[in-house]
Amino acid sequence: MIAQQIVNGLVLGSIYALSALGFTLIFGAARVVNFAYGQLLMLGGFATLFLAQYAGFNFFVALPVAMLAMAVCSVLIYVVVVRPVLGQGDLAVLLVTTGLLYILRDGAVIVFGTAPRQIDMGVEGIVEIGDVIVTNQRLVVVGALIVLVVALYLVLYRLRIGKALRAVAQNRAGAEAIGLNVNRVTAFAFAISGALACAAGGLLGAIYAAEPGMGDLPLLKSFVIVIFGGLGSVPGAIVGGLVIGMTETLAGSYISFAFKDVFTFLLLIAVLLFRPTGLFGGKVA
Amino acid sequence: MSRIAAALFVTGLIVVPPALGSYQVYLLSLTLVWSLLALSMGLLLGYVGQLNFGQAAFVAIAAYVSSLLRIDLGLSFWLAAPVALVVVMVVAAFIGVITLRLRGPFFVLVTLAFGEIVRIVISNWQDVTRGPIGLRGIAPPEGFLGIDFGNKLAFYYLALAVTLVCTLALARVVRSRTGRLLVALREDELLAAFVGIGVMRQKMVGLCISALVAGLGGVLIGPLLTVISPGQFSIFTSVDMVVMVIVGGVGTLAGPLIGAVFLTYVPEVVRFANEYRPVMMGFLLIMVTMFLPGGLMGLMRRLTHAGSGAALARKAAARAG
Repeated sequence: MIAQQIVNGLVLGSIYALSALGFTLIFGAARVVNFAYGQLLMLGGFATLFLAQYAGFNFFVALPVAMLAMAVCSVLIYVVVVRPVLGQGDLAVLLVTTGLLYILRDGAVIVFGTAPRQIDMGVEGIVEIGDVIVTNQRLVVVGALIVLVVALYLVLYRLRIGKALRAVAQNRAGAEAIGLNVNRVTAFAFAISGALACAAGGLLGAIYAAEPGMGDLPLLKSFVIVIFGGLGSVPGAIVGGLVIGMTETLAGSYISFAFKDVFTFLLLIAVLLFRPTGLFGGKVA
Repeated sequence: MSRIAAALFVTGLIVVPPALGSYQVYLLSLTLVWSLLALSMGLLLGYVGQLNFGQAAFVAIAAYVSSLLRIDLGLSFWLAAPVALVVVMVVAAFIGVITLRLRGPFFVLVTLAFGEIVRIVISNWQDVTRGPIGLRGIAPPEGFLGIDFGNKLAFYYLALAVTLVCTLALARVVRSRTGRLLVALREDELLAAFVGIGVMRQKMVGLCISALVAGLGGVLIGPLLTVISPGQFSIFTSVDMVVMVIVGGVGTLAGPLIGAVFLTYVPEVVRFANEYRPVMMGFLLIMVTMFLPGGLMGLMRRLTHAGSGAALARKAAARAG
């Protein structure tokens, strides 16, 4: 029983970590808290759905194509609404992305309707290890997290633009002073963030369902996870996602299912009281 | 000039409603309650410089505590409401201790989490709060001196009195030492701390006053709607308050009031397009932030300044000619 719960917690945690990665990356690179992030995830879910269900692509082809599309979409968001208000401070960015959240979420209700639609992943069956049962679909989710994290590290540590991104995250003014094109690097961070959101959306759509409200909870969890792990920290998002997933599963099955989210938030408040910058966070200016 | 306009406006609010139908009076009362909520957010955004996405939780706590005290313990509205307000301020102080050290996005995210905790607890603490169905049949405040608040018009005047007193009190607060200290903090916290302003203390005062105003809206909302449920106090309610402040004009008291009127009446006028309301709200938020940072107040001020500028220019031209 406990082993099964731990595995369930790890799977849930992988989904959370995947959702939080793109969110934390944007904050790290551009100091932007993107409230529309959950909607990127939702749009990614629908993009994958349409490619897989209606255009007839295999899920594992549809997902990368959708990720590319959402990367472009995310850059568009940056150029059209975020960049023009960057100079006005944190509040303006929060406001325009919140506005975007409203538009995209209810735009999706109007266009797609509220009926949940599951994406066919084409993967079935279960794996049994002793008493522990995992569906293959969920193993795909864990596998996807590992693949994407490795890919992200290769981009951040091997590619020139990835190194530039880390430089901008560490010191924006310094990066600008040595001649990095901060604007282009920020756009790149938005692109990666959009692709990661889409990956999370596509996978969530396959194990649960794609629907206009599907981005709400991941956004909320992403907040908790990145505060827990440290805003802007990639390892923080991964560890944070796993810890939160585990806490919810264990508290949900052993203490109270209805209040499982309350435990998460209480954990969050405890972290803030004792370590305000998060477990992996550095200084926050 | 603006004093005369305000006096005329208030006179209108007192004289006109008896001539209106009961639905119009209800709408006006609703606008007044929203004005209180918008004012509370306006104080926080404009003077404390913090965005609170959990503000609806203050409203929820006030609404639930006051209604439950009446329903379960049989207290009078006039006793239950002050108790609820005290509870809200205590909660605000507690939240302040945790969050006011945090800045920018951190404060926003934690207040959001707080708002969610309150909503989840209300939804799930069935024994006390009746869960997601909420409380029904909340009675109007007990009458006195022959006034029956079951009458929509009488309740409207009660809401009007609360809103007016609140606005005047806030106008005093904003111009007081506390108000000026808050503005100093908002502009440059480090410098303010350096010149010896008790940063935490002032912010705490600002947050508690804001929670008190939100709580006033909360104690009125139950009797006005006669029904309250956790769904009414989601993050979207907090965002609605933010939109009102931003559209009306941040950093002023008239701004949130104008925003509340605008955003309660416009959706009524375009009722046929109700499903597009959130899209319009979002669009409005983006457009105002990008192109009209001062909101409607800023626009008005610019127009009147431009007007007086033009008048001066004409006078100068006349003198020269």
